[in-house]
Amino acid sequence: MNTATGIIKALNSGIKHLAIKRFTLRYPEEKLKFVGDGYQFDPSTGVGIAGYKGRHMLFHDHCTGCQLCSIACEGVAEAIAMVKVPEEYKQNKKAIMPQIDYGKCVFCGLCVDACPFYALYMTNDYELSSFSKEGLIYTPAQLQVKPFVSQDSEIKITDRGATHG
Amino acid sequence: MNKELPPGLALQKVDERIMTLNVGPQHPGSGHMRIIVQIDGDFIVACDPDPGYVHRGEEKMAEYRNYITNIPHLERPVIHDSCNVLYPYVLGVEELLGIEVPERAKYIRVIASELNRCVYTMYWLAIYGIFLGHSTMFMWPAGDRELLIDLLEKMTGARVTHAHFVPGGVRNDLPPNFEDVCLRQVNYFEKRIKEYAAIFYDNPILIARTANTGVLSREDAIRLGTTGSVLRASGVDYDLRKKEPYDVYDELDFQTNVLKEGDSYARSKIPWLDMMESCRIIRHALQKMPKSGSVRVKLKPNPKGGDASVYKRVESGRGSLGCYIVSDKKPEPYRVKLSVGSFRNLIALPYLLKGEKLGNMPSVYWSLNYWPVEADR
Repeated sequence: MNTATGIIKALNSGIKHLAIKRFTLRYPEEKLKFVGDGYQFDPSTGVGIAGYKGRHMLFHDHCTGCQLCSIACEGVAEAIAMVKVPEEYKQNKKAIMPQIDYGKCVFCGLCVDACPFYALYMTNDYELSSFSKEGLIYTPAQLQVKPFVSQDSEIKITDRGATHG
Repeated sequence: MNKELPPGLALQKVDERIMTLNVGPQHPGSGHMRIIVQIDGDFIVACDPDPGYVHRGEEKMAEYRNYITNIPHLERPVIHDSCNVLYPYVLGVEELLGIEVPERAKYIRVIASELNRCVYTMYWLAIYGIFLGHSTMFMWPAGDRELLIDLLEKMTGARVTHAHFVPGGVRNDLPPNFEDVCLRQVNYFEKRIKEYAAIFYDNPILIARTANTGVLSREDAIRLGTTGSVLRASGVDYDLRKKEPYDVYDELDFQTNVLKEGDSYARSKIPWLDMMESCRIIRHALQKMPKSGSVRVKLKPNPKGGDASVYKRVESGRGSLGCYIVSDKKPEPYRVKLSVGSFRNLIALPYLLKGEKLGNMPSVYWSLNYWPVEADR
C-alpha cells in the first residue's frame, strides 16, 4: 500500500464516524444503570451478590453492635468508627453502630463481607461529594436512609455502532 | 595545589556540545518519573531514567495487614489492571493455605483478568496515541474502553479498583444474564479494535515515525531481562499463559503474538494483537465455563500460613508479574515482594534511546509498555 492510499484510508475511517451517533454518556442528565440494588453478602453461603459498591446502607433492626465491620476496616481504610445511638434495640444492648467516613472509605466492600447479621449492604449511590470534610462522615441515622437513584442508561449495540440509550 | 582527586570526585569533563535535559517529573510526556537525557544537537547521547517519585511502600504495608486486608491496597499499583496485579498474590496465598479453588471461580477469574488486560491496554494505547500527536487515537480507545469497564462493573461492582479476587475464589458470582451481555459487548469491542488498523496501525505517518526507531535485538531483549510485549516484539515467543499455565489457561484456545522487528512499531502492535487474543479467550471461557456451582471456598476468619514461602507469577498487561510471599505461622505475611514487568522493561530504555532523535523519545518510551506507579510500587 502506498502512502497516499494509506492516508486516504485513515482519513476515511475517521470521517465515517461523523454520521454515527455519539457513544459518550451525558453524565448529570443521564446516569448509567447498574445491576441489582448494590453489593450484598450472604453469610450462610459465604458468597456475595453482584452489585455496585456505592454508599452503604445500615439496617438498624439487624445490627448487633458486634464491631466486626470496624475490625475488617482497620487494615484497609480505618473509615468505620462505632458510635452511640440514642435508640435501643433488643439485639443491640450496647447501642453502638457503625459510622462511616467517606473521605477514607475505598469502597472495597470487605465490611459487608464481615457482617454476619445481614445488617450492612452497599447501594447504587455514588454521588457523595460535600463541601466540608465533616459532611463526608455519615452517621448511623444517615446510613439508614435508602438512597434515591434514577439510573436508566444502558449500552445499546446496533449495526451502526454503540450508544448509551 | 595540583592534588590528584579520587575518580569519584573528579569533575566531569565539560563538553560544550552536550546539553543535559530533564524530562519530568512534571512533564506530561514522562509519566511520574524523570528521564535525564544528554543531547548533542537533536540526537540523544545518553539517557538515565530516574523512577521512584510515586513509591508508596506497598510491600512494607503488606507486612502489617493480614492475608485478606492486603487485597485492597495491593491492587493500587496499577488500578487499570487491578485483577492481574492481585492474581499472583491470590494464587500464592492459596498455595500457602492449601485451598482448592472451585472450577467456576477459575473461569470467572480468567474472564475478569482478560477484560482487565484489555482495559489497561486501551488506556495505554490512548496515551501512546496522544504522545504521537494522534488525538483520535486518544478519544477512540478511551471511549471503547467503556464497554469493558461496564462489564467489569457489572461483574465486580467497581469501575477500576475491583478487589474481586480473594484466596479461595472470587467475591461474588456473575450477575444474571451476564454471559449474553458480555458476549455482545466483547464482539462489538473486537469489531471496533479492528477499525484501529486503518486509522493507526496501517497509517503511513505512524509507520514513518515509529518503524526502525529504538530497535531492540532478540539477543539484547533476552540479555536485559525484558518481558511481556517488549520481549515478544523482539521475536521471543514467551508468554506465561502458555509457558506456565495458571488456573484454566491450559484448557483455553489461544495463541501468542510474536513480531521479529523489535522496533517501536512492533512493540506498539503486540498489545493490540494481544487484545484480539483476549477476546478469543473470553469467548472460549464463556463457552466452557460451568453454568452453576460454588465460586468461593469459605475460609477461617483469620487464616494463618505455615512456615513456608511461595513464588507465583502471571502474565499481566505489561509482562511477567511475580509475587513472592514468605509466611511465618502468623495471620500477617512475613514478607511480600512484587516483581513487576514495568521495571524490567524500563532497563532497556537507555539502550534504546542512544543515538535516537529527541523527538522520538516519547514514542520509544511509551512503547515499552511502562507504568510508573507499578515500577515504584
